[in-house]
Amino acid sequence: MSRFSLQRLRAVMRKEARHIARDPQTLSIVVLMPVIMMFIYGYALSTDVKDVRIAVEDPSRSTESAAIVRALDAGTLFKVTRVENVVPDPKEYFRKYRDKALVRIPPNLASAVRASGRGAMIQVLIDGSDPNLATIIRNASQAAITDPLLAMLHIEKPEPVKIHMQVLYNPRQESAFYFVPGLMVLILTMMSALLTSIALVREKELGTLSQLVISPLQPFEIVVGKILPYMLVAAIDGALVLLIGRWAFDVRISGSALLLAAVSVLYIFVSLCIGLLISALTHRQLHAMIGAVVVTLMPTVILTGFIFPVSSMPVALQAVSHVLPATYFLRVVRAIILKGVGIDMLWQPVGILVAQGLILITIAVRKFRTAL
Amino acid sequence: MNTIRALVWKEFRQLRNDPISIRLMILPVLFQVLVLGYAVTTEVRNTPVTICDRSETPQSRSLVRAVAGHDLFVFTGMSRTEREVRRKLDAGEVRIGMVIPPDFARAVGEGRAADVELVVDGQDANSSNVAGGYISAIINGWAFKHYTRKLAAMGKSIDDVLPARVRPVILFNPLLKSTWYMVPAMAVLLVTMVTALLTGFSIVRERESGTLEQLLVTPLRSVDLVVGKSIPFMIIGFVELVAILLFAQVWFWIPFRGNYATIFVFAFIYMFSSIGIGVLTSTISRTAHQALFATWFILIFFVLLSGFFLPIENMPRWVQEVTRINPVRYFMTVVREVFLKGTGMRELWREAGAMVGIGVAVYGCALFSFKRRVG
Repeated sequence: MSRFSLQRLRAVMRKEARHIARDPQTLSIVVLMPVIMMFIYGYALSTDVKDVRIAVEDPSRSTESAAIVRALDAGTLFKVTRVENVVPDPKEYFRKYRDKALVRIPPNLASAVRASGRGAMIQVLIDGSDPNLATIIRNASQAAITDPLLAMLHIEKPEPVKIHMQVLYNPRQESAFYFVPGLMVLILTMMSALLTSIALVREKELGTLSQLVISPLQPFEIVVGKILPYMLVAAIDGALVLLIGRWAFDVRISGSALLLAAVSVLYIFVSLCIGLLISALTHRQLHAMIGAVVVTLMPTVILTGFIFPVSSMPVALQAVSHVLPATYFLRVVRAIILKGVGIDMLWQPVGILVAQGLILITIAVRKFRTAL
Repeated sequence: MNTIRALVWKEFRQLRNDPISIRLMILPVLFQVLVLGYAVTTEVRNTPVTICDRSETPQSRSLVRAVAGHDLFVFTGMSRTEREVRRKLDAGEVRIGMVIPPDFARAVGEGRAADVELVVDGQDANSSNVAGGYISAIINGWAFKHYTRKLAAMGKSIDDVLPARVRPVILFNPLLKSTWYMVPAMAVLLVTMVTALLTGFSIVRERESGTLEQLLVTPLRSVDLVVGKSIPFMIIGFVELVAILLFAQVWFWIPFRGNYATIFVFAFIYMFSSIGIGVLTSTISRTAHQALFATWFILIFFVLLSGFFLPIENMPRWVQEVTRINPVRYFMTVVREVFLKGTGMRELWREAGAMVGIGVAVYGCALFSFKRRVG
């Protein structure tokens, strides 16, 4: 057989590009998915908690309790839904109205706050089903309830320490800053691992791969020719995410865009190798798709720190997280976009990505040769 | 009726002859519940922290001990200077830096408000919020303990200074475990995926291999075909649901406080929507590849907008309105309410109404488009 020829490679690439272009559904997923995801994540999935529904049980009906209710409702965190005289069964109440908390003011509030040496005890019942929300309510309730009382009684709030909090990298605490790098990783993974593995297995399933193999094409040309168009698509999608992030959410790359592009190409290569491996091991599109989802997509969403903090997971899952290329890529992308860090502080994750790429390509090539 | 029974049998036999699909249905599901149960956590623990103590007094060291020894944080060591704190944050070694200024002890001694500076890595808005809240609570706790001790030395108690105190009590999930919230929700996700994906795929495969045409020339009506396809996957959906509900109790020790019948009634209503989505996508797409993508695509959005991990209440108004047509949202609410809070049918009528409406609409559309496509 003849040696590698650029012309034949280009022919395979053109064929694959036509596959993509002629399948409107794939094309729309390739283009629309990143756009829609960006807007959904950016606008809808806000992590700021506000207007938490709370009810108040107030048998005292005093000016003090009225001040508490007014202050709670005026803040952004809470919204007072109802003020009851008495709530006989709080659990039943939570089932019926689904408020997130119930503030129980004692009947003797007015006298208790004015009597010296005997403060009033106000109970806050919190629905703990959603632990995150419950923690936020618990942390906020103390000040939210006592501050208006102190203000009313003209008592200066005892404040033994004053905490000054400075938030770095994302001072406005916008969730878009958090989602844009994560989405970039997710979309690159999806386009490179999922689409390539499916594209290769489809030819296997249809039997057209054997036709390609017996043609003068070399295995290398088939694989690279099929992969390159998807690589290009992935790169375009990555750029698309960054552009939308810039225009719609004002997320700027504070570091070097060139470095970001270089690491992205490296990562696309690594996840393409995973896609290749999956396609070498499976024979049906369904299996390839499920394999790609289980091995790349799900872990990327769940175990890399995209949404859920890795440090809170059990040690075994943290270990898995440290094997995933996406974890390192996400770290690099966040560091470049949000922190503006240069390569001098990123050689470790980048080095790991390079090593993973080398290992995966060796395995993938060997597996693929036997599969062809 | 007989014809549908025959179709259901045929479907089960086909599934049995496809061992890989069976394996893909059962093993990954259990595996996912296990992994997701632990991974999908909104708890913020083990946040790495560094402290720069520029006061170096007994008071500041006592505060350092309080923070460094706390099990919500991982203390990575002291920093000499504020620049070192910043460098560690840049390198990602720590996510919170605490700086105690030089005049800390004097301020504490004089009863002035002593300053403490926190530098927080805000990349992840949620985690940094929660972790910042935790560390502030620890510092405040330390300060109040110090303050009460000083008041006691003067013969006063904290109640003389503070007119009221707040005592939070957590109901339904007293230890605030993330698994208690997430694992029941996982049942919803997996039932959705299995029923929608498998139904859609089985229809597309039948069409690709040409056997759908054969079924159509039999006396079977297209309604029978769709119903016959739905029943087996509904049964599989129920089996998975029961398995996950049991698994949640046996493995994760989550108390089931509700009524199984309530969950089953809702699951039955719900599966008309999820299976309907599968049928609908498979009739619209030409290949298995497309059907899978379309289903996957729809499910991702439904799950994101279901309140699975980010509450719907946080979303902008118009998005909240959009979630009203999302069947996953209602079933998610129902399963969580029933599982943890023991909410009954009587309090869930609104969800029931919405789910019946969506189910009828989706399944009706599915029947209609199936008829038109193949008829």
